Amino acid sequence: MEYDRILSDLLNRDEYLVVGKKTVRLDALDKLLGKARFTSDYIPKNTMTVKVVRSTMPHALIKRVDTSTALMVPGVVTILTAKDVPGENEIGYALPEQPFLNDKKVHYVGDPIALVCAIDETTAQEAMEAVVVEYEPLPAVFDIDAALAEGAPIIHKENNVAVKTKIRKGDIAKGWKDSDVVVEDTYWSPYQEHMCLEPEAAYAVPDGVGKVTIIACMQSPHLVREKVARVLGWKLNQVRVIQALTGGAFGKKDDTGPLISGYAALAAIKTGKPAAYIMDRSEVLSVTPKRFPVRFKYRSGADGKGKLTAVEVEITLEVGAYANRAPFWLWRQTAHACGPYEVPNVAVDGRAVYTNKVYGGSYRGFGNLALHFAAEQQVDKLAYELDMDPVDFRMKNILRIGSRTTCDQLLDNSVGIDKCLAGVAAASDWAKHREPVRIGTKIRGWGVGCAYHGNSTSRSTPDWSAASLMIHGDGSLTYRTAICEIGQGSPFGHAKIVAEIIGCNLDSIKIEQPDTDSTPDSKPTHGSRGLMMGGTAAADAAIKLRERIIRVASNMLDCPEAHVELRDSQAYNRKKPSVKIPFAEIVEEMHIRGENPASYGFYTSPRRFFDVDTGLGYNYAVYTFAASVAEVEVDTETGQVEVTKIWPAMDVGKVIDPLMVDGQIHGAISQGIGFAIMENLQLKDGVVTTTGFKDYIIPSALDTPEIDDTIVVEEPYKHAAFGAKGVGEPSIISIVPAVVNAIHHATGLRFSTIPITPDRMHKALKEAGKK
Amino acid sequence: MVNFELNGAHVSFEAPATMTLLDMLRVELGVTSVKKGCEQGECGACTVLIDGYPMTSCIILAPQVEGRHVCTIDGLAENPLMKELREAFMENGAVQCGFCTPGILLSAYALLRDNKRPSEEEVKTAIEGNICRCTGYVAIIESILDAAERIAPD
Ligand code: FES
Ligand code: FES
Repeated sequence: MEYDRILSDLLNRDEYLVVGKKTVRLDALDKLLGKARFTSDYIPKNTMTVKVVRSTMPHALIKRVDTSTALMVPGVVTILTAKDVPGENEIGYALPEQPFLNDKKVHYVGDPIALVCAIDETTAQEAMEAVVVEYEPLPAVFDIDAALAEGAPIIHKENNVAVKTKIRKGDIAKGWKDSDVVVEDTYWSPYQEHMCLEPEAAYAVPDGVGKVTIIACMQSPHLVREKVARVLGWKLNQVRVIQALTGGAFGKKDDTGPLISGYAALAAIKTGKPAAYIMDRSEVLSVTPKRFPVRFKYRSGADGKGKLTAVEVEITLEVGAYANRAPFWLWRQTAHACGPYEVPNVAVDGRAVYTNKVYGGSYRGFGNLALHFAAEQQVDKLAYELDMDPVDFRMKNILRIGSRTTCDQLLDNSVGIDKCLAGVAAASDWAKHREPVRIGTKIRGWGVGCAYHGNSTSRSTPDWSAASLMIHGDGSLTYRTAICEIGQGSPFGHAKIVAEIIGCNLDSIKIEQPDTDSTPDSKPTHGSRGLMMGGTAAADAAIKLRERIIRVASNMLDCPEAHVELRDSQAYNRKKPSVKIPFAEIVEEMHIRGENPASYGFYTSPRRFFDVDTGLGYNYAVYTFAASVAEVEVDTETGQVEVTKIWPAMDVGKVIDPLMVDGQIHGAISQGIGFAIMENLQLKDGVVTTTGFKDYIIPSALDTPEIDDTIVVEEPYKHAAFGAKGVGEPSIISIVPAVVNAIHHATGLRFSTIPITPDRMHKALKEAGKK
Repeated sequence: MVNFELNGAHVSFEAPATMTLLDMLRVELGVTSVKKGCEQGECGACTVLIDGYPMTSCIILAPQVEGRHVCTIDGLAENPLMKELREAFMENGAVQCGFCTPGILLSAYALLRDNKRPSEEEVKTAIEGNICRCTGYVAIIESILDAAERIAPD
C-alpha cells in the first residue's frame, strides 16, 4: 500500500486541515499549569518505600546475603532477594544473562542484589546499610582491550564477546587497488548519560488476588508487562501497566522501565502493600544504562576523481556488564558504516565486548551518533587529502534514489539527503567560509556533517503497530496508542493524523495514557518508529472509522459517499454545503444501523529478502536523512570551544507539525553539542564518579547557539501515513560530526575522541605548537 | 512549627528540622507542580519563589521559610503575566516533556516582573539554573522574549 497516495485520494484534498500546520500540543496547557502528573505525583504519602541493595564490587561471587540484622530495623516490612522471585529471575533484553536480582555473581558496581521494603526512605536507607553481602572478589576488567586479552577474566562467557556482526560487499581488495587516497584512523566515542530531568520512578499496587497495577515512567508498557510477568511468573493479563507522563526518556526509560516496575511490583505482591521505588540522581548516573562506548578502526579510500572506493571498519563496542541492546546497537553501526554515501566495496566486522562497568543501552541515535562521528570525519579527511571541498566531495558520493547502501539495499523512494546537504551549504554561505577567521584569541571555523538513520527494525525483521479509536455519543473521541509521550509528542502527531482523516476537531480527541488493560500493543517507543509505525496504525484505525461515518452520513445527507466531506466534526454534502450534520448525530445513527463506533488499526511494515550471512539485503524499511553545518569559535588561549551557530536540515518524509520537528531538532542540537564538547562521564575502577548535574555538565541556556531556520525536505515514505518518517533520533546524528569538523577547520586539529573539553583542546593546541 | 504563606494562604506545618522545603511542599502539602529532579540544587526543577525570588526548594530547609511568602505556579494561574508566558510557550512549542516547565516559568516570571524588556542574554542568564534536556532552550528563550513584547509593546 502506498499510504500517501491512498490518503490523498481518500481525503480528496489539495490542502490538509491540520497535517503540516503549526498546532498547540494537546498536553501543553496541563504541563504549563503544573497539573500534568508524572509518576511520583501519583504516589500517596506514606507509601511503602523500596530501595535496592546494590553490589559494591565490580566482579565477584556472592557468598552470602544476610538480611537478619536489617530485618530488625524498626519499620522494615521485608527484604527480598533472588529466592523470593516467583517467576524467572531474568530481565535481559536480548540475551538471557541478566538476573533480576543477583545471587551468584555480580558484574558491575550497582548490580541489584536485594530489595528493602520499609515504611519510609530513612528506614529503608538504614536497613539497606545493614544488609550484609559477603563476596569472593574476582579480577575485574575495565576496558575492551583488557577484556579481549588472552587469559582475561571471564565475565559471562569465554573471550567476553557477546555478539559479532559482519558485512562483505563488493571486493575490498579491488577497492584498495582503485583508491588513490586512503585515510586511516581510530576513534573512541565514550559513554553519554541521558540526564532526563525526571529521575526514574515506579509505583505498584496489588490489585486483588493475582493482579498488580503499575504506574511508572517508561517507553513501552507492553515490554514492561512482558518482563514483569516473566519475573512474577504470571500471565500477561495479570499485570496492568500504565505509563505516566514521562519526564524525558531519550531511550533510557526503555531500559529502566522494566527494571523499576519489576522492583515495585515484586515488593507490592510480596507484601500486599502499595510500593514505590524512586531513584535519586546519583543512582541514575551510577547504575542505569548509558550510550554505549565504542571504538572504530576506519580505513577509507577514494579515487582521484573523488569517488569513494572502499571502506573497511572494525567496530569494538563496549557493552559493560550486560549485553542489553548491544546486538541491535552494534548492527546499526555495522549497517550504517559508510555513512549516507554509496561505496562499492565494504568490509565491516563488529564485536560487542563485556567489561565490568555500567552497561550500555538505548539512547537517541542508537549507535549512529558515534558511528557518524567517525565516518563523517573519514569523509572529511578524504576531501582534504584530495584537496576537494568537503561539501562537493560528499555530494559526489551521496545516496540518491537508485543508490545502494552499506548493506547493498537498493533505495527506491524517500531519499532527500542531497537536498539537505545542498540546503545547508546554501543557507550557511558555505562557499564563502572556506578559510577560518581569526578574531583576537579566537579562531572561527565551519564544518559539515551528514547522517542517515534506518527507521524501525533492521534486517527485515517484522515490525508492526496497533492503535484504537472510539467515537462517543457526543462526537468526542478517545485515541489509544502505546506509543508513549516522553516529551517528543508522538501521540499528539497521531492525533493530528486522526483529525486529518476523520475531519474532527483536534481538541475533540483525548489521548489516553497508555494502559495495557485497554491500550493495544503498539510496540515500543524506540527505533524512530513512534510516528512512522504508530502513526500509520492510527491512520488505519481512522480510515476504518471514517468509512463508517461516511456510509452513515451519505445516507443521512442523501448523497453519494464520494460527495461526503468531513470537517470540523461535521459531515456535509460537498455539492450542497449548507446542510451540516454534527458527529453526535451521526454516531447516534451509527448505533442504530449497527456501525461499530470503535475501530482498531493495525500496520505491518513491508519485508523483503535479507541475507544474514553476508549482512546484505533489505535492511531498514526507510531512512531519515539529515545534514548540518556548524560554526564554532575556538579560544586558543583557554581551549574553550563555543558552538556559535548551527544550520540544520532534515528529510522527514512529511511534516506532521513544524513545531514538533523544530523542537526535536533544537533539543538534539543541544544534546549533540553537549556530547561533542561538554559531557564527560568519569569512572574510577568501574565506579561512576560524576554523579550529578554539578560534575556531569550538560548544556544550559547559556550554551545555546544561534540556530538557523530548519531546512525541511519532504521526500515521503510511500508505506507510512502521509509519508512521515522518524525525526527525534536522526536529528542528533549530524550535529557531532559537524561540530568536530568545524573544530578541525578552525584549528587544523583532528580529535579522535570526544568531548573536546577545554583541557583536551588546550593540550592539543600546545602539542601542535599552535599556542 | 513553620508558619508561612503559600500562594497567598497561611500555612502552619509541623516540619522536622531536616525536612526540605521541596519535600514539605510535594509530600506533605501535596503541591506536585514543584518537581524533584536532583535534590542537589543543580537542575532548577524544584524552583519556587520565596518573597518573589526564584530559589531551588530542594536545598532549603522547611523551617527556613518561617514568615516568608512561598509561591509556586499554582499561585500564579490567574496572573496576567503568567498567562502571557503560557500563551507564548504554547505558540512557540516550548513545552516537551514538561518536567522543567514549572521551574522555568517561575524564573521567567520573576525576570519579566522586574525587567520588562530583557535582552536575549538576560533571558538566558535568568534561566541558566533551570536545566531542560528536551527543548534545547531555543523555543523557551523565544517565548520569554515574546511574552515580554506582549506585556510591554514598544
Ligand atoms: S531538584 Fe532542586 S535543583 Fe534539582
Ligand atoms: S521539556 Fe523536558 S526537560 Fe524541559
